Amino acid sequence: MTASGFQSLEEVIADRHFPEVDLALRRGRHVGRDDGTDYDYLVDALDHLEPFYRRFGCELVQRTDGYFYLLPSGDRLGRRQLSAGEMLVGQTLALMYLDPATLQHGGMAQREALLGRLSGLLGTETLVRTLNPRRRKFDERIAAETVRTKVAEALRQLADLGFIDVVDDTMLRLRPALMRFAEPVRDLSSPHAALEQLVTSGEIVLGDADDEDVNDDRNGIEDDDDEEMGG
Amino acid sequence: MSSDPSRLIAALARDRINLDLKTLDLCFLAGLYLQANRASLASFEEDVLIDMFEQICDVVDPGAERPRKRATHAIQRLRDQRMLARVDGAGIVRSGEYTLTRLAAAVVEYFLADEALTRESLTLLTGTLRAQLAEILGAAKRADTEDAWRERVVAPLRVTVGELVGGIERRQRGLDSQQEKVQAEISKVLQADWFGAVEQCQSLLDRTTDTLRELNEILLRDTHHFVALLQEIQALASESAQAESEAAVQRVIEHVDRIADWGSARQHAWSDYYQYVHRYLRDVVRLDPDRALSQRLRDQIASWPSTQFHLLVASARSIRLLRSLESRAERPPVTRPRTDREASPDLVDPEEAGLDIETLVEEALAAGTKSLAEVAGWVLPKFPPHLRYAITGRVADVLARVTRTRSAHERPWRTVAPNLELEDWDFWRDGGLR
Repeated sequence: MTASGFQSLEEVIADRHFPEVDLALRRGRHVGRDDGTDYDYLVDALDHLEPFYRRFGCELVQRTDGYFYLLPSGDRLGRRQLSAGEMLVGQTLALMYLDPATLQHGGMAQREALLGRLSGLLGTETLVRTLNPRRRKFDERIAAETVRTKVAEALRQLADLGFIDVVDDTMLRLRPALMRFAEPVRDLSSPHAALEQLVTSGEIVLGDADDEDVNDDRNGIEDDDDEEMGG
Repeated sequence: MSSDPSRLIAALARDRINLDLKTLDLCFLAGLYLQANRASLASFEEDVLIDMFEQICDVVDPGAERPRKRATHAIQRLRDQRMLARVDGAGIVRSGEYTLTRLAAAVVEYFLADEALTRESLTLLTGTLRAQLAEILGAAKRADTEDAWRERVVAPLRVTVGELVGGIERRQRGLDSQQEKVQAEISKVLQADWFGAVEQCQSLLDRTTDTLRELNEILLRDTHHFVALLQEIQALASESAQAESEAAVQRVIEHVDRIADWGSARQHAWSDYYQYVHRYLRDVVRLDPDRALSQRLRDQIASWPSTQFHLLVASARSIRLLRSLESRAERPPVTRPRTDREASPDLVDPEEAGLDIETLVEEALAAGTKSLAEVAGWVLPKFPPHLRYAITGRVADVLARVTRTRSAHERPWRTVAPNLELEDWDFWRDGGLR
């Protein structure tokens, strides 16, 4: 505990930062250098907070990229897995974070550029089908609108989780926490081995998302059932 | 000139101000500008213009046909846009002599001049400005007449000081544009040479950081002096009740404040950018010298729909706050205070006017009236104006009872008294009475 600026857990909890930071971490937020004194507080209080959160069945993780997050390993604290939309958008934003072109604007990226990248990487059809897994047929215009809606929703969630900051209607500020999406390919080992390792450490789960995406947005997309009834 | 921006803009819009300069036009203007500087020419003869245009054509558009004709068009186009002005006044007597206008010179200077703010240029400008302000302060102390204030204080503040301050601002904009270029350059060298470009990026960052720091130091130090001198001049103007001078000083103070703000704002913004790039170089470039991570991530995204994985995040629900228990209270029935609605009747004059209406209507009929409007016109003048509206209704009522009425499908509106119109109808003329 030599590096800690706090002498005891009591001091850590009594600090004015504790309530906000604690709530943010428990709600899944990634607290990074961009968060200013909240981040500094976590750096100072880390030695005391690690054992504190372990008692709740959570790991307070600090990454060298400059951010903290809480990783629940048991059932004591609620957890959720990111939806397909959040995963796709998050990975694409991580790719943009690595791009020197983003560097020119100090880590700012345009929403339009994100949509262009997503579509370029996956192809429009794959993108639509991944975001709407239960639909077999789709109208092009409605599908495009649905993708935009899903992406906007994913961005809102990612902003709540501290992966990005939404600057305005067009601009996003990319934060270092996005590098979590690149964890499976960060070292040179095989991606499968890396994924297994991440599953073991409780960072990720494999398989389709049991997310709510598949249940909504029935408007405008032709349903399989409708198709069968009609034909 | 009006100082109201809305009126100025409206005037520009009314005059349909526009500029349409092709690359060839700009090159032509630049050629003239450079030649004028080199040979100290104040104006150009028409032949010189055409020669210059042909030379520019050879460089910009080598295959162009009929360059002399194109030169004539280009000269006319530039005159129309107030880039070239004819200065000889000889009309058609002989070929003209032309000069570049202030507008043309400004346009060319923008493209040619490298006017970014440097330590040397800023030191020179601020030194001159300080000397100038000290001189104006001396003049303000000696000024004893309105004219002296205007000539020795207001005019130098507007012209000399205005030019110097404007010069600093212009160079600030130049430095802004240079910073943008540095940011683009850092991005470009990283794209081209990734790990090999780290040192170059570092050097670009440091150079701009040093420049900004130096400039900001000079600005902080010197703007403080400027404002002190200006405030002294303003106090003297105020004591001498020189409102025009006070306003002129105030304008310069505002400009100086803006210059100082620029320095700190740019340094702050650059500091953020500097830190961001540093983190990027350390966390992204140095840890991935072969730039393999981007490619692996691209592959991961492409294959993600078939091999899905999902990040896990904490998701604690908000604490549910239970509502505090309250026993159900008997609410009193909704009531409102009783009011005495039985008001005492007002005393009014008896209204006997109605008694005469039937008689008056019969008199009107006997006089040969043919329509409601005519009857009303006959009866109403006998009553005061405030009763005429009500009387009209009674007239119509009596008339309907004592005659047989008829009316067209569209009944015309007729004026029967000031501010009073009615929809007219006729009645049987023959005897009129039932």
